[in-house]
Amino acid sequence: MSPAVRAFLRSPAGLLGVALMLLVLFAALSADWFFPRDPLSLAGRPLQWPGQNPRLLLGTDNLGRDIAGFICHGARVSLLIGLVATVVAVGLGTLIGAIAGFYGGWVDDALMRVTEAFQTVPNFILLLVLVAVFGSELEVITIAIGVVGWTAPCRLVRAEFMSLRTREYVLAARGLGVRDAGLIFREILPNALPPVIVYASVVMAVAILMESALAFLGLSDPNIASWGNMIGAGRSVLRTEWYVSAIPGVAILVTVLAFSLVGQGLNDALNPRLQAV
Amino acid sequence: MQTTRRQVLVAGSALAVAGGGPALAQGPVPAPQRGGTLTVQLTSEQRVLNPAIQASTGVYVMASKIVEPLVDLDAQGEPVGVLAERWDGSADGLTHTFHLRRGVNWHDGKPFVARDVQFSAMECWKKILNYGTTLYQFLEAVETPDEHTAVFRFSKPMPQGLLLRALPDLGHVIPAHVYAGTDIRTNPANTAPIGTGPFVFKQYERGQYLIAERNPNYWRGNGQPYLDRIVWRFISDRAAASAALESGQVQFSPYSGLALSDISRLSKDARYTVSTRGNEGNTAHTVMEMNLRRAELAKVEVRRALCHALDLGFFIENFLYGYAKLGTGPIPSSSAPFYVPRAAPYPFDRAKAERMLDDAGYKRPSRGAMRFAQPLKLLPAPWGEYTVNFATFIQQSLREIGVRVEIEARDAPGFLTGVYRDHNFDLTTGWHQYRNDPAVSTTVWFRTGSPVGAPWTNQYGYDNPAMDRAIDVAATELNAMKRKADYQEFVKLAVDDVPVHCAVEHAFISVYAKRLMGSHNTPRWSSSSWHDAWLAPA
Repeated sequence: MSPAVRAFLRSPAGLLGVALMLLVLFAALSADWFFPRDPLSLAGRPLQWPGQNPRLLLGTDNLGRDIAGFICHGARVSLLIGLVATVVAVGLGTLIGAIAGFYGGWVDDALMRVTEAFQTVPNFILLLVLVAVFGSELEVITIAIGVVGWTAPCRLVRAEFMSLRTREYVLAARGLGVRDAGLIFREILPNALPPVIVYASVVMAVAILMESALAFLGLSDPNIASWGNMIGAGRSVLRTEWYVSAIPGVAILVTVLAFSLVGQGLNDALNPRLQAV
Repeated sequence: MQTTRRQVLVAGSALAVAGGGPALAQGPVPAPQRGGTLTVQLTSEQRVLNPAIQASTGVYVMASKIVEPLVDLDAQGEPVGVLAERWDGSADGLTHTFHLRRGVNWHDGKPFVARDVQFSAMECWKKILNYGTTLYQFLEAVETPDEHTAVFRFSKPMPQGLLLRALPDLGHVIPAHVYAGTDIRTNPANTAPIGTGPFVFKQYERGQYLIAERNPNYWRGNGQPYLDRIVWRFISDRAAASAALESGQVQFSPYSGLALSDISRLSKDARYTVSTRGNEGNTAHTVMEMNLRRAELAKVEVRRALCHALDLGFFIENFLYGYAKLGTGPIPSSSAPFYVPRAAPYPFDRAKAERMLDDAGYKRPSRGAMRFAQPLKLLPAPWGEYTVNFATFIQQSLREIGVRVEIEARDAPGFLTGVYRDHNFDLTTGWHQYRNDPAVSTTVWFRTGSPVGAPWTNQYGYDNPAMDRAIDVAATELNAMKRKADYQEFVKLAVDDVPVHCAVEHAFISVYAKRLMGSHNTPRWSSSSWHDAWLAPA
């Protein structure tokens, strides 16, 4: 067992995060098994309280949908969006950050001005614009969330590259005739990744929250079972049937918390300064 | 809410004149009190306060307190004179003479004369006003033999009943001396109206409020209007709107402005009245429109099958809290002069719906599979819970008979261009309002010939010459009995061809503090002038 894994297992936050993540993963994977019906279909009379009907464990929302089934199917959507958006954001950010940090000079200047242009627009506003222009299908939303979130990982990677590119082992590799691409991807990137991996968990949590916020405003894809969709629908009955919004709210809380805790655990494990203590 | 002045009026006769109607007939009649500010919550604003160029309840709810029509409806739903004192029509239906009220002044002090009616009718109602352009298309001229007579001349017969029932909505008079010679659409008076009504425009702050104050020189006299001031507040968040009502900041929420769950909750609260009374004249249908350009939907059997798949009783009971009833056709049951009782045409029958689709050639490829190669694209009308939740319900219901529906949510401008200009939809939900007579704003959903892009018209490619003929015959029929019979032909065609399924019929729901008196006593009260409304002390 590598020291990093051992360090991670020593972190209570990380372990709790993994446990919660497994719970969400289980809900997502078992959704078709326990709830074979389409989660958007009419399961019964709307607004049945949790426990009122033994067939509907968590009751029904104001559109008559089975909340329990909706939550499990919604876990898939949230995980999918979180994962894909994170890959897009971190991939894009890493690529641009690596090039900017490695080459410096006018390349860095040009790329950083582009990054700043993105950073000056609040993420969520930019997301609203993208959705308004390109539509609200699931694929579009997922990629749009990734696209608005790439600047922070980009800055992070650039800073790492700037500090690593003059290290002895990089100079040695350069002296041995390794090309730029080799230096970037084989020498520097593996050493620059730990903070990015930690940050990726934050990006994932933010991505899930962003989709929920979009859905809450009624701008997400209405044909998928997304937690935010249910919160948005439940808003109109908030004063009387608060559970319609509260249950998917708790699901989002648990998922986002899981990723944040895993991130913290990774940070504990991968941060060499903390390890030394 | 302080009452600055209280003037107790003699009850009895004064109230009878004020048209208290059946509302006050129960129990002892309280005497109206002068003073107080009525605050009204509105969900949205249209930024036009000129009902002579824009026909919409969203305009009337504010502007009709300031600008008055020639005719309104009384408690029994019969036409009663406002700016017109009386009227008579020629036997051939080509001439209608209105004898105007004397001694009425505009808010700027100028006298109200026949020229104002002439200008409003010829320049606004006929040329600009939505629905008016159809209704008044055969209006040739308005003659003014003297200052207090306006003679409407039509080139085709205009039934007097139709004209009188249309005028409360499509007959607001604006001052010619303010508008003549200007661009009517951009005249500043459109957002700072000058009228003859019981309240005078004071201040309009976009997105926030509109204030109108008591007109001390109002022509009805008798201490009317009773209120000192009316404030309309624009509160779009429905949760905040009900909170404002419950905290006493607002006394009245018209036109189903609150969430249905809050309406249901407040109906059990003794401080509020929750009712559809006083809105009978504004009955609407929540409808499913089907685009006949889509190959499957061009077949009438398919359209009928989709209608049979909707369990509307369940929808009304559980989604609309029971505040609605089954629609029976494009003329609602509240329209006494034209409605002939009939059963809901497409009762819920899932097996029958499946059979009909099988017979139309759309069998399921395999058990549980979907029937159409492409899903139906459904654009929900963003007009609140009725149309948005109905879209979800359609999606859920049609899936059960093997028809997949994909919902594409859009904001209001995107929805209107998508449906009415680009025709880029297969299904859409809608909210169609009936205005006292089928010819005012109902037949236009079924007749061909509406310009592309005109909202709330036949934009789904429905074209049946028999329907056009039925509509045209009924619109110019002078005999009231025969006209009613003609419209049954229209209803039958509309229901059989079903380009639009008038699924659910409902009146708007008013929620108001019990302190608000002298209210909801006419069939279109929220759109009327409120000259006799008053507030009891808190």
